[in-house]
Amino acid sequence: MRVLLVEDNQELVSLLVKGLAQSGLSADSVGTVGDALHVLSTMKYAAVVLDLGLPDDDGLALLRDMRRKGDATPVLVLTARDGVTDRVTGLREGADDYLPKPFAMEELVARLQALLRRPGNLLGRLLTFGNVSLDTEGRQVFVAGTPRAFPARETAVLEILLRRGGNVAPKRLFEDQLFGLSGDIGSNAVEVYVHRLRKMLSDAGATVKIHTVRGVGYLMAEEKEEKAG
Amino acid sequence: MIRFRSIITRIVALHVVAIGITSILMPLALYWLLNQAANNLHRDTLRSEAFTFSTFLRPQPDGQLSLEIPQEVRALYTSDYGLYAYSVLDAAGHVLFSSRADGKALFTEDDHSPGGDWFTRRISTGSTMFGVSVDRPIGQHRYVIQVGQDLAHRDVIIDDVVTSFLPRVAWITFPILLLLLLIDILIFRGALDPVREASKTAASIGPSRTEVRLPEQSMPTEIIPLVHAVNQALDRLEAGYRAQRDFTADMAHELRTPLAIVRARVDSLEPGALRDALRADLVNMTRTVNQVLDIAELEAFIVQTDAKADLHEVCSDAVGLMAPLAVEMSKTIALTGDSGPIWVHGQPEALFRAVRNLIENAIRHTPAGTSIEVEASKDGVVRVLDDGPGVPEDDRQTIFRRFWRRDRAKAESRGLGLAIVARVAEAHSGSVAVENRPDGGAVFTLKLRPA
Repeated sequence: MRVLLVEDNQELVSLLVKGLAQSGLSADSVGTVGDALHVLSTMKYAAVVLDLGLPDDDGLALLRDMRRKGDATPVLVLTARDGVTDRVTGLREGADDYLPKPFAMEELVARLQALLRRPGNLLGRLLTFGNVSLDTEGRQVFVAGTPRAFPARETAVLEILLRRGGNVAPKRLFEDQLFGLSGDIGSNAVEVYVHRLRKMLSDAGATVKIHTVRGVGYLMAEEKEEKAG
Repeated sequence: MIRFRSIITRIVALHVVAIGITSILMPLALYWLLNQAANNLHRDTLRSEAFTFSTFLRPQPDGQLSLEIPQEVRALYTSDYGLYAYSVLDAAGHVLFSSRADGKALFTEDDHSPGGDWFTRRISTGSTMFGVSVDRPIGQHRYVIQVGQDLAHRDVIIDDVVTSFLPRVAWITFPILLLLLLIDILIFRGALDPVREASKTAASIGPSRTEVRLPEQSMPTEIIPLVHAVNQALDRLEAGYRAQRDFTADMAHELRTPLAIVRARVDSLEPGALRDALRADLVNMTRTVNQVLDIAELEAFIVQTDAKADLHEVCSDAVGLMAPLAVEMSKTIALTGDSGPIWVHGQPEALFRAVRNLIENAIRHTPAGTSIEVEASKDGVVRVLDDGPGVPEDDRQTIFRRFWRRDRAKAESRGLGLAIVARVAEAHSGSVAVENRPDGGAVFTLKLRPA
């Protein structure tokens, strides 16, 4: 599984290639839009990491060109221009994700893995956060390595939270995924499943906790270790 | 000196003055010319009458002169009808014949018109006697024949034409001049139409639409230099805006790329206390760089007039983004208020940054275990409420200044976060203010204009 890194700063390129390699992702790199177009016409990549500030052209031009040719390769846009008006533009042009510079290596890897986890990709069958894991194919939950039998809906709630990493999952997402279009959901139906999942995780000795962000959704965070005092 | 704001008003005003002067001077001039013409005509008539009269004079053998007015014209010279008055003088100035009752000469040298060859004299009835004198040889001697007419006489109409001119005819000039004024106004309005069109175009030009230029082809020649100058000024303005935008973009690139390199290098270090410390430093530095770049961009930031944002979604995104930080700092955060879209006039990303900064400020300046509430209401108002120490009255204005800190000795800077909020509020014609809650804690209120 190779990704193409389109970035003109050689120092950053070598650090990123090394960092991606540590996470099991091999990367080729080009420094211009022209080279990227050339490479993309002959090679098929699992994903493209695209810097917008390139010497010969705007990175968005490459993105537009790819999409016009029907190339649906996931594109993660990197940019130093995270201005008030830039973010929106980047995503509207057909980027799959957007990461402003500077970024943590883990963040880049996590975002790339999220893109690669799309249908057709085998990577990331196992979602992990803290000591909780979920095999998305076998629908099996592991807490601290021990398999646990969680009911389907609680597992679905857990999957959503795991996929969001430590970020907030909007309440609407749970409603859509749990109940689909099957009509009427009690206003606190999601809350009920989250409450049950909370109890199951804590009973199983999970190091993660589900926090409610009232009015927005839920997020999972690792329980803070008690500070040695 | 009165200054007129409108060209049309100025034209009308000056025109009215011109009409006022013209409508006085023109009849006077016409009157004078008419008077001259009438006078000349009258003189010629009287002079030929004097020649006719001279034929009534016959030299006698004794050297005396006799006057025989034929029967058919005698009535004209009698005092009954009295169309003409006459007197005949010899070379020495003795009166030989006179129609006057006292037998004196019709005119004396005192009655001679200054600068003219006619005579005028006030007569006892109050009217004016107008006349000429003609020098004629009869026999061996020369005689002076004076003929005059009483201008008040009912059959002397030539002066009536002149006197009736002013009241009867002169007033017609006034409506004609007014009509001219009306036509002029219409002409000017028509001529200024392209200027009005250009004004409409110019009104649409704003910092977000700097590419618009005024049309030069349809302009009157006199206006073209102005329009051209305005267009050139717009060119320079646009270049200035572009330079400002390019500068912020370049600055972002120049600052963030090295940060990205440092971050990647630090991430490749062996795990340990040093790496964690460097990461924390980088996070702080990145935050400051981001805020400086935000401030720089917002300096030239203008909200498009038709920009709309869903304030509820903006707040939801901001709360969602900041929730992990709140959880990490052992705080709870919630979004309350009206649900569903709240449309306000604004640029979503800028508003997002403002709300995010308010939340970040609340998270960073409240103790662990407290809660933060973001309340979005239908009237376009966002309140960020916390349970922290609140903001002292003295700091409530200064807190929104750049790099403000309560105590310079302490490193407790609020940085640029709240200054960015203030700038975003200003760019949206909104406001931001802070107050303390009755039960403790602060409430930041960001007011926006409902769309």
